[in-house]
This record gives sequence, C-alpha cells and structure tokens, in this order.
Amino acid sequence: MINSLFVINRHGKIIVEKHWRGIISRQIVDVFNDESAKFMKLPPGTLERSDISSNQEAFFTKEDVPPVLESNKYWLLNVLRDDLTWLCPVEKEVDPMLVFEFIHRIIDVVTDYLGDVSEASIRENFVTVYQLLEEMMDYGYPLTTEPNALKEIIMPPTIINKVMTTVNAAAGVTPKFPQNMSNIPWRKAGVKYTQNEIYFDIVEEIDATVEANGNVVSCEAHGTVVANSRLSGMPDLSLSFINPRLIDDESFHPCVRIRKWESDRLLSFVPPDGHFKLMSYRVALSPYQAMPLQIKPQILPTKNGGKFDITVHPRSTDGKPIEAIVLSIPMSKSTTSVNATCNVGNYMYDPITKTVKWEISKLQQRERAPMLSGTFSSSDAQPDMGLTVDVDFKISMYSVSGIKVDSLRLFHEGYKPYKGVRSMTKAGKFHVRT
Amino acid sequence: MHCAREEFFTTNKKGENYELKAELNSEYRHTRKDAVKKVIANMTVGKDVSGLFPDVLKNMQTEDLELKKLVYLYLMNYAKSQPELVILAVNTFVKDSDDPNPLIRALSIRTMGCLRVDKIIDYLTEPLRKCLKDENPYVRKTAAICVAKLYELNPELTTEQDFVKELKELVSDINPMVVANAVIALQDIHELSDTKDIFIINQTILNKLLNALNECTEWGQIAILTALGDYKVASNKEAESLCERVLPRLQHANGSVVLAVVKVMMINMQYIQDKNTVRVLCRKMAPPLVTLLSSPPEVQYIALRNINLVLQRRPEVLSNEIRVFFCKYNDPPYVKMEKLEIMIRLCNDRNVDQLLSELKEYANEVDVDFVRKSVNAIGRCAIKIEEAAERCINVLLDLINTGVSYVVQEAIVVIKDIFRKYPHTYEGIIPTLCDNLEALDEPQARASLIWIIGEYAERIENADDLINNFLENFKDESTQRVLQTATNECDNADIRDRAYVYWRLLSTDPQAAKAVVLSEKPAVAGESNGLSSGLLESLLSQIGTLASVYHKPAETFIAGRKYGADNVQALAHDPTNEDEDASAPPPQIQEALRNNSNLDNLLDLDWDEPSASTPINEPSATSSSLGDLMSLDAGNAAPSPPPSSTLSPTQSLTDIMNLYNQPSASPSNTFAGMGNPMQPQPQQPVQPVAVSSSMNDLFDFNMSTTSTAHSGLQQSSPLSPSLISTTQPLSTSANSKPAKEDPFAGLF
Repeated sequence: MINSLFVINRHGKIIVEKHWRGIISRQIVDVFNDESAKFMKLPPGTLERSDISSNQEAFFTKEDVPPVLESNKYWLLNVLRDDLTWLCPVEKEVDPMLVFEFIHRIIDVVTDYLGDVSEASIRENFVTVYQLLEEMMDYGYPLTTEPNALKEIIMPPTIINKVMTTVNAAAGVTPKFPQNMSNIPWRKAGVKYTQNEIYFDIVEEIDATVEANGNVVSCEAHGTVVANSRLSGMPDLSLSFINPRLIDDESFHPCVRIRKWESDRLLSFVPPDGHFKLMSYRVALSPYQAMPLQIKPQILPTKNGGKFDITVHPRSTDGKPIEAIVLSIPMSKSTTSVNATCNVGNYMYDPITKTVKWEISKLQQRERAPMLSGTFSSSDAQPDMGLTVDVDFKISMYSVSGIKVDSLRLFHEGYKPYKGVRSMTKAGKFHVRT
Repeated sequence: MHCAREEFFTTNKKGENYELKAELNSEYRHTRKDAVKKVIANMTVGKDVSGLFPDVLKNMQTEDLELKKLVYLYLMNYAKSQPELVILAVNTFVKDSDDPNPLIRALSIRTMGCLRVDKIIDYLTEPLRKCLKDENPYVRKTAAICVAKLYELNPELTTEQDFVKELKELVSDINPMVVANAVIALQDIHELSDTKDIFIINQTILNKLLNALNECTEWGQIAILTALGDYKVASNKEAESLCERVLPRLQHANGSVVLAVVKVMMINMQYIQDKNTVRVLCRKMAPPLVTLLSSPPEVQYIALRNINLVLQRRPEVLSNEIRVFFCKYNDPPYVKMEKLEIMIRLCNDRNVDQLLSELKEYANEVDVDFVRKSVNAIGRCAIKIEEAAERCINVLLDLINTGVSYVVQEAIVVIKDIFRKYPHTYEGIIPTLCDNLEALDEPQARASLIWIIGEYAERIENADDLINNFLENFKDESTQRVLQTATNECDNADIRDRAYVYWRLLSTDPQAAKAVVLSEKPAVAGESNGLSSGLLESLLSQIGTLASVYHKPAETFIAGRKYGADNVQALAHDPTNEDEDASAPPPQIQEALRNNSNLDNLLDLDWDEPSASTPINEPSATSSSLGDLMSLDAGNAAPSPPPSSTLSPTQSLTDIMNLYNQPSASPSNTFAGMGNPMQPQPQQPVQPVAVSSSMNDLFDFNMSTTSTAHSGLQQSSPLSPSLISTTQPLSTSANSKPAKEDPFAGLF
C-alpha cells in the first residue's frame, strides 16, 4: 500500500506531490533531504551518524544513498532516476519491492507518454501526469498500469491529439468516451490498420567481468524481445525459437500463455497494440565462451605517475563488425595529466571526472588490433591502481547467446502480416579489471 | 496538491482567480477546460484555489471525460477543507454512478470514496451497493476497493450495512480481477480491524484464489499470493500442490511477484516430506532470484536482503550460483555489502578459491568500508572452511604486506579470530603481525594484536617489550598500581568493579586467576550473523516486507518504531524465540551485528535470561579477548588495563547485568533522565565466584564502558579526568565512530 508519492528535483524541491490516502506533510521531503545529505557525508569506516558537520565534503554520491532510509516516523523508500528522486514515505509495513516496481512502472508509463521523464517534461504536462497518477493507483493499490489500457482513458499529449481536441472543440464535437473495455486488458478492441505488420527486436546485453589476463570472472547475457505490433483485430500469434533450451530464466508480458511455453517452448499470445516488451530472458554464458572482444589493459605505476597501454582484440562475432566501442578508463583521483596516442579512433581525457574515454567507431575482424598507450602523472607518489575499465560496444545482427526466431504464425485473422526480426548484442555491465 | 496555504494567494492573486472564475463560466467548452487546467496547475504548486469551488463544480456535469476527471481531481483535493460544498457535487456523483458507460460509473464510485468526508457517506452507500453488483467487472472491482475506503471512514456502518459480507462474496466472482481487488480490500480491512478476524482463508477460499491467480494482473497476483502466505496447509499433499500451483508465477518480470511466490513456497516447503520434491522446487526458485540481480539497484537491494533469509534456511537454492553475486565495481555500496554477505554464505570448499581471488580483488578497491568488509570476509571464509584457512591466511598476509593502514588493521582483527578458531596452528605468522605493531592506531586492531601476544606470550621472545608499547597510557606498569588507579580514581562503575574482581582474584590465588583467565575459550562460530531459528521462521513468512529487509520482526518497528521496553520484553517472551534455539538474540542484536558484522559470536551469550538481555548488544570479540590479557598478570608483572576499547556498536553489557542480577534492566531511556544513574551500581556486591566466561565478560564490560562512557560524554557523563586521560590518546581515531545506538549510552 502506497500512501503518497513525491517527485523531487536535484535541488530537493518538490515538483509532483500525490496522495492516495490522506495527506503526508511536504516536510517529509526536507527530512529526506537531510537524511540523504547526512548519509552522503558519512565518513567511510563508520556507520555512525553523529559528529557530522554541515560543511563536510561528501564521501558518497546521491546514487549511493540506500533505497530505504529511516526517519523518526516514516520509512523513506526512494528511487533515483535521471536527476529525479521518486519518494514514497511509508508509515506501516509495506512490500518495498512492490513500491519500487510501481515507481518503475510510473516512470515507464510517463516516459511512454511524454517521451522522456525530466523536470521540464513533467512541468509542461502536469495535467497528464496527474491524471496518470490518479488512474494508476487507487487508495494506495495499483489500478491500471498497462500502457495500452491507460491510453484508452488518458490521451497522450501528442501534437495530433492537441490539434484534434481544438478542432473538435471548435466544431462543437465532444470527444467520445471509450465505450467498451476490452476483455483482454492489454489490448483495445477494434484496432484497424491498412498495412498489417509486426516487428521483433531481440536485444542482448552482456554483463561480464574479465580479468586483465583474459580470465572471465563472471558473464551472462540478458535478452529482451521487444515487439512493435501494428495488427488489426484480435490476432493470436505463435512464435517459436530455434534453440529455446539455451534460456536459463525467462519472464513474459502478461499476454503470453505460460502453459504453452512450459509444454512446447512456444510463445503464444494476443499482442498488445504498439510497442511492448514481449519477453526478457537470461542466458548464463560459459566462462570459456569467447567474448566478442578481448581487452588487455596494462598499467605500470612509476613514481608520481605511470604508463598504460590498452589493446582491443576482436573475437568471434560471426564476421559481424563491432561498432561504437567506447572504453572508459577511470584514472586514479590524484591524476594531474594524461598523454596518450592511439592508432585507431579518438581518445579524450576529462580532467574533472579523471576519465580517459577512447572511442572506436567500427572494428572489423582481422584488422590490426587498436591500441591506446600513454603516460599519466599524479600528485600522489603512489597512485592507487585498483581500476576497472568500463567497455561499451554493439554488434548488429548478432546474438551472443545464439537464440534465433524460427517462425511466427498468426491465427484468428485472415490477413498475412509483414514480419520482421532484428537482433543486436550490446555491452551491458562489461568490465575489465586491470 | 496541498491545501495548507490558504491565506497567502487569495489576497494578492485575487486578480488571477477572478479571471479564472470568468473563464470557468465561459460558454465555450475548451475555454472552461483550459481554465480548469489552470486551476489544477495552481493547485499543484500549492496556491489556494479553493475559492473557485462552486465555479469548478459547474463543469462537473460534462460529456468530456478528461474535463470530468480534472474536476474530480480538484474535488478530492479540497473536499476535506470544504465539506459543505462537496454536498453540491453529490447529486452529480449519484447520477454518474448510474451512467450507461461503465467507466463513468466506476469513476464516480472511486472518486466518492476518495473524498473522505463524513457527510458524503450517507449518499455513498446506495450507489456502492449497486456497483458491487454491477454487471461490468471493471465497476465491481472499483467498488470492492471503495468498501475498504468506506471502512476506514466508518467501520461500524460498513459492517452493519453488510458491505464486508458482500465483499467476501466478491471473492467468488467469476472475474479474476474482481477477486484480486476483493482480496486487496479485505486485507486492508483486516489490517484496520481490531478483531483481526475479517479475512481468514479456508480451503474453499483457497481454491477460488488459486483459480483467479493465473488470470489477474501482476498486482492482483501479489495480493492473492500475500493472502496465500497466511494459509495454513492441512497436509503434506496440500502443501505440495499449493507450491506447484504458485510455481509458474515465478516467471514474472515483476520482482514483487517473484518474492511473493518465494514466500509462499518457503512457508510451505517445510511441510513437504519428499526430499526430491523439495529439491526440484528449490532448483526452480533459483533462476528468477538470480534474474532479480540484473534489475535496478533498489530492486537488487531488496532481493539480496531476502535472498539472505532464504539461504539461511535453504542454502542449496543458490549453492552453484556464487558468481552472480560477484560485485561490479560500480554497484552502489549498499548492494556490494549485501552481495558480500551472500558470497560468504554460499562459500564452500569447491568455490572458496574463486571467492578468495575475488575478495582479494575487492581489497584493492577505493571504498574503505567495502575494502574492510572484504578483508573481514576473507577471515570468515577461513573460519567457515577449515581446509581453506591456510590459503586465507596467505591472502591476508599478502594484504598486510601492501601496508595500507586500514587493510592491515582489519586483517589483524580477523587473524585474531582465525587464531581463536584454530589455536596453535598458524603461529608462524606472528612475527609478521608484530612488525606492524607501530602502524596500528585503531583500538580494535590494537586490542586484537594484544590478545594474540597475550595468548602466545610463551612463544614470543619479546612479548613484554611489545606489550610495553601499549602501556604508554598507564602511569605505572605494576599490576597493583593499575588496579589501584582503576578502583580509586575511576568514576566508572564497571571499570572499577572489574578491577576489583581481578584484584581479589590475584590477591587470593594467582593460580586460580590463571585458570580463570587462561581457561578454554568457547569456539568461534563459523557462520556468523545467522538469525535464530525462531526469528528466521517468522521473517521467512514475511518475505518481501520491510521486516525482511531489516531482518527484524515487524513488531519492533511498526508500532512506535523504536524498540520500546514493552515491545522488546514482549519479544523476549515470544514463544518463537524460545524454541529449541534458546539463545535467540533479540533482533536489535542482529541489527548491531549487521552494522558491525566483523565480529563473531565469540562468547556463549547467556540469553536464557531474556529480561536481562533485552536491550543489550553482543560482546565484541576484541574486548573479550582483552580479558585474556590478564594472562600476563599471572606470569609476568605487566598487567594492563586495556588501552582502550573498540568503540564498536556491539559491546555487551549482558553478563555484568546478569551478575548484578538486575532483572529489570530496562532500556536506556528509563535511566537517561536520572542525574547520576550509576550511583546504585557500585554498591552491588561483586560475586566472588564467577565462571570463567563471565570473568571474560566482566573485563569486557570494563571495556565497553570506556567506550560507552565516551560516547555518552555529551550526556552529562561524570567521568573523572583520569579516565579521560587514559582513554583519550587511543580513542582519537575511535572518536569518529562512537557506539551506535548503544542502549546504555545514557547510563554512564
């Protein structure tokens, strides 16, 4: 049960306030700001909160503030996303996971409606936002959270809708109420397209931690199947994979019939209209499976600085080029300057975040291995070296897990839809230790 | 949406409100709609627009759903402050509840329930009764929640008018969404009711719920699963079939659904006899739990706290998955800490090497807390897995050689624990430890090294030189002098008492003293931080709640939030705490343990006396080990009251309390108000015959008082200058971490 929700901007000011059962004073936001400031100033090595002067330097960032904070009367459940804090103070026992999942859902829906979630977009469309909050929760319990069902009740503030409203208003036509709630909550009735088409995007992200010598400490792939359905009527689809046994864990959009999956490994469903996430899954990759690229970082500290060089070796990707490679190398905090050269791509050193960013736009197999080498100087005699390189890349038309769509069949409707499947592999939390 | 600033804007913004008023009464619908939007905009930034109530209300009767909802939004906000005006809206509401469009009917009944005005109740009952029987499921499900709203406003009326009964009938509704909402409403009412007998699940209801489970929304599933958690199965077979029915729900992307299923399964698996079935169920639980770890950090955090509970009961669930708990360097600290806990839980002889190299990696990171905890984890691995102890020691030695101060200190603290667990096995490394003596500035690390030196004094040639290093703080090194200082000049009752005990012991029979101080020490518990089985049981049945996140029973923080004496006492007598594990420590100890988890249960705590043990924290390993320092007393002439104690939050006052036999030991706040609270204590006779463990703890108590006194300084602590001078030099670093919430802080 959620009593209230506050959305707070980066300066700690309230931009949205919504109460579903009784009002909680806005002062709770000050309490929250104080508590999180207190936490951030907490010196490492202690768990105690006294002895903290107000002008002390912060040891932790906003991201480090625990999602559940205590105050005298409330538990402050908070989620930080893109500079906005979504805060639910609760007084009684509650399912914190439900609160977080619900906040995520609000963020998703608002993003879907407004294009992005920011202070500006919320302020500009506050009427829509308040309507959504009202519709998504009743008396502290989630009510309608399906984007499709919501769009039937609340119009997204698109330009066309605005124009339509004005035109209709001028013409004296009142907008129609949606008359029939569809039997399937995720799909509205009476959808019609002149061209019937459905697209699937299989996106896999590799989460991996790799040691400097190439040993894989942990790795897995997280995949999502996102669909864009533009099909008329009430189509019943059946999607099969070539190798579904690879999947270790999966979860589905509510439209998927789980029993069919359990028995036949078939995705059988009546799709929602428009964009939706059909399925997400996890595949544990073997530590011996070659990563799409191997990164070899070397850092040699010397007095007041050191040398580094990093090479990137492309590995098996079925001949697909690796694109948009970005290596972020966080240097130690005491670094004063960096000098480097690379044979491929561009590098940049940001003296504020002390990070070297090296970008390689495209890397083909059997090319000369890109290399970045250079020196850095530090104000510390022995700069700390426990650094981790963060790697980003993407490979189009490639799935690291090997999962592929086999066929898609359509029942209950007479037309033949146009079908499309794309796959892509990206780096998730891909880290290389030095 | 706030209505507290009435006075401000009405006067100076009169012009604006006046303009709005005109627009609200415009003949053009879109002008009126824009005006309502402006009104809502003003309302959301906290301006008072309640003066426009009648004008806004005029727009309520409209065909435009959006406009209608905006007016409702406004109404809900100001209904409380303008109850008499709300009556004006009632007619429209009642009319709407009869509208041919089900959405309008639902909306009107939903909004009426949200107005929270007593006057409206009389008008609400009839439409509500009709809507509960509406042909449209959307209306019925909205009406179900409305019953809960009505109950909050007027429980008697709701029961009298049979609404609760009708709600119970909705549990048998053909539409799963209606069933789910009826369950939600019944649970809400059940919570609010005094009798707590509103919603009890029997077998018939169970079947209805299970049938609805597959078809309703994720939120409905959570509600139904939560309700299923309260159901007591009648047989093994039933438990088995219940688990199988909820199992498919694990395949949900919503973490809350997953945890709710896990909860139902954990509750019911204990009734299943067939080991094979249990194994299969456990295996099925693993993948969704692992998947939660790739969610946003806040979800991970809740998941990890709950996984920790699950693993304490069924470690086999994730025994092969230790890799997924390895930390990413950019995980937030709260996630890293929880992952470490779980790694240690999952550590076994097969994966310990992998884990050690991982922990060593973490020990090179920059986050001090995390590094310390990682070093500590290495020690806990050694204690847990005997075969790996040597490898752990080697890793620790490597880390000591890095020379990073806090790494060295933490390593020495855990090595002391390893020594306790495996006595006389790794003495070879003592010289290395002693080389670092100068570098130690934290009391806990110093105390650990002192303990090691004391224990192995016979094997260390220059033991007394080394000890002398620690004695700078004492004016004289003679035993007598130290004890004299402690007894005469120290205002702290506990130091004094402890000194008396040692003094008497030494003066009567040095051999006895030796026997006491050098006696067998209780074994170090391998798996630390485990919850007592009673507490674990109750927490497992609350998976997915704040209680399961904080690992303390809901009672301790739901009512009153702080552990009042009543709560704690009630808890101490709680039968769940007194099953076969009589040593069930009170929850705040778990809390303390978690805060300072580097300590193991080194001492048998005497939990048998719940009343005495209530607000008390765990004795710290360090200070108890200092008790053994007195070994020097017996042999040598260089006793040293401890340099200072660790100011860890886990100091124990337990045994001294037992000794004083103050069964009424109540939480600190009762004492805090007294001027000189320790006055009565020194008069207490010191019991001459004390068992060895309580001797240890006596000394330990001594320690803890130094620290508590220190932390209690602000609270008018009557400390003598001499004590301060003894503690000051060492506790400078410790100053920054005074005992956390030490319940006795106010005592001294």
